[in-house]
Amino acid sequence: MQYEILSRPAASAAKLTLDAGESVTCEVGAMIAMSAGFTVETTSRKKGGGGGLIKGLKRILAGENLFLNHFTATAPNQTLIIGPGLLGDIIHHPMKGGTVVVQGSSWLASGIGIDIDATWQGLGKALFSGERMFWVKCSGSGDLFLNSFGAIYPVDVAGEYVVDTGHIVAFEDTLQFHIGKASKSLVGSFLGGEGLVCKFSGQGRLYCQTHNPPNFGKLLGPKLKPR
Amino acid sequence: MTIEFLCGSCQKHYRVKDELAGKRAKCQQCGATIEIPVPPAVDPQAEAAAPLSPTAPPRPVGMPSSSENIRGSGDFEFEISQRPDFALVTVKLQPGQKVFAEPSAMASMDPCITLQAGFKGGLKRTLGRALGGESLIINTFTATGAPGEVTFAAGQPGDAAHYRLKGGALYLQRGAFMLHGEGVDLTGKWQGAKGFFSGEGLVLLKASGNGDLFFNSYGAILPVDVTDQYIVDTGYIVAFEDTLQYRVSVLPGLRAGGTLKTLFFGAEGLVCRFSGQGRVWIQTRHVHPFLAWVNPFRPAKSN
Repeated sequence: MQYEILSRPAASAAKLTLDAGESVTCEVGAMIAMSAGFTVETTSRKKGGGGGLIKGLKRILAGENLFLNHFTATAPNQTLIIGPGLLGDIIHHPMKGGTVVVQGSSWLASGIGIDIDATWQGLGKALFSGERMFWVKCSGSGDLFLNSFGAIYPVDVAGEYVVDTGHIVAFEDTLQFHIGKASKSLVGSFLGGEGLVCKFSGQGRLYCQTHNPPNFGKLLGPKLKPR
Repeated sequence: MTIEFLCGSCQKHYRVKDELAGKRAKCQQCGATIEIPVPPAVDPQAEAAAPLSPTAPPRPVGMPSSSENIRGSGDFEFEISQRPDFALVTVKLQPGQKVFAEPSAMASMDPCITLQAGFKGGLKRTLGRALGGESLIINTFTATGAPGEVTFAAGQPGDAAHYRLKGGALYLQRGAFMLHGEGVDLTGKWQGAKGFFSGEGLVLLKASGNGDLFFNSYGAILPVDVTDQYIVDTGYIVAFEDTLQYRVSVLPGLRAGGTLKTLFFGAEGLVCRFSGQGRVWIQTRHVHPFLAWVNPFRPAKSN
């Protein structure tokens, strides 16, 4: 599979080129346009079995859809254009074994060699990380496409790194994180508007997003008519 | 001094010598060709004030951009700048030349330009445009006495594109019309049952004649040359040439022995299947997902 990420960073779309027999699994609703030589299959499981309903239900908790769309090219050189719903960037992460933990709605698409599951990060992180209770766990090898709200920037963590809640896109599971205060005093942390932060430690790649979706939602919400 | 940049496709971080600025190289990780960016002149004091910690994100100097300006000339010179997120169309009119734009599209203009609002093309055309999701009123901008510039921008953040009509016709999705030059005829075109199923509107705008046309989108615009068949989700079509035939259907999975699930649970819903030879313009975003996302943030009605 060849790929190209177009019109970055705010209106990014990924253009994937597949050869006959190649498949890609996409988030439901991600397809913008495609060549005519694709078959599309909607299942609640990984392409070719595995997973099944329980994993599908866990994906719902992680903010993704129960169903996955599998696009399989039936002719050579077929192109598929995919994109997320909101304004933001797309990033390609090549996986060679190992596991990447992805924030709820940031998973966009992956090759069929990647297994998609939901993972529970523990109660403290679930309540205070500013993210969903469950995260999407991608493991295996192949191409992984992630999307963000705002632009994405990668950080290679070696040692420690602090990210504000709501700004995490994904991280390799060789990294651990815990919830902590932004400054030494708890009062100071909240007065500074940063509240609690995610403190990462270990060695690995971390992807952050420049904007925090709930902050934008809270700005718009009060100006809209009540529902 | 070293230059730090990221590979445009796999984001691998590189640090190279200054002398290599502007050269091309192959990414060691993914094999993509990268142009080594020329670093902007940095104020050494500012640099010292904000030292990069070892774990700080590498500066995205080499981020690729599709923000190239589009320049050209038809009946008049034009430029589309600030692409793809905040496209601004600048047209340069010679004395006596006119452009016709949708209301409130004008952003700024020279004092020699006169603006006249009015119905254009009689009752039938006017109503046709209204059904096509555009305003009844069309603003006419005329350069009087001296050449002058007018700039236009859409209400939403997004891209804009130019199309030169040469006797053919172009169909525009609801709300995509921005402005046109002299010689272009704009009317609503009933699409029959196809329009009903496309979910975007029963009437498409049809532009025909000889002249310049500009249209806009939400998100970036990608042109696709269709040579045989091409499938686009109905919400992402901006415009297409009338040499293309189209029909609204469900994703191919459903027909090729697939299951009904693709339609009901796959959420890709209905797609437009283009066939023939011609160009279709697609947008990379559409507003409905944004509206669905913002909805939960609305305050709850208090009883």
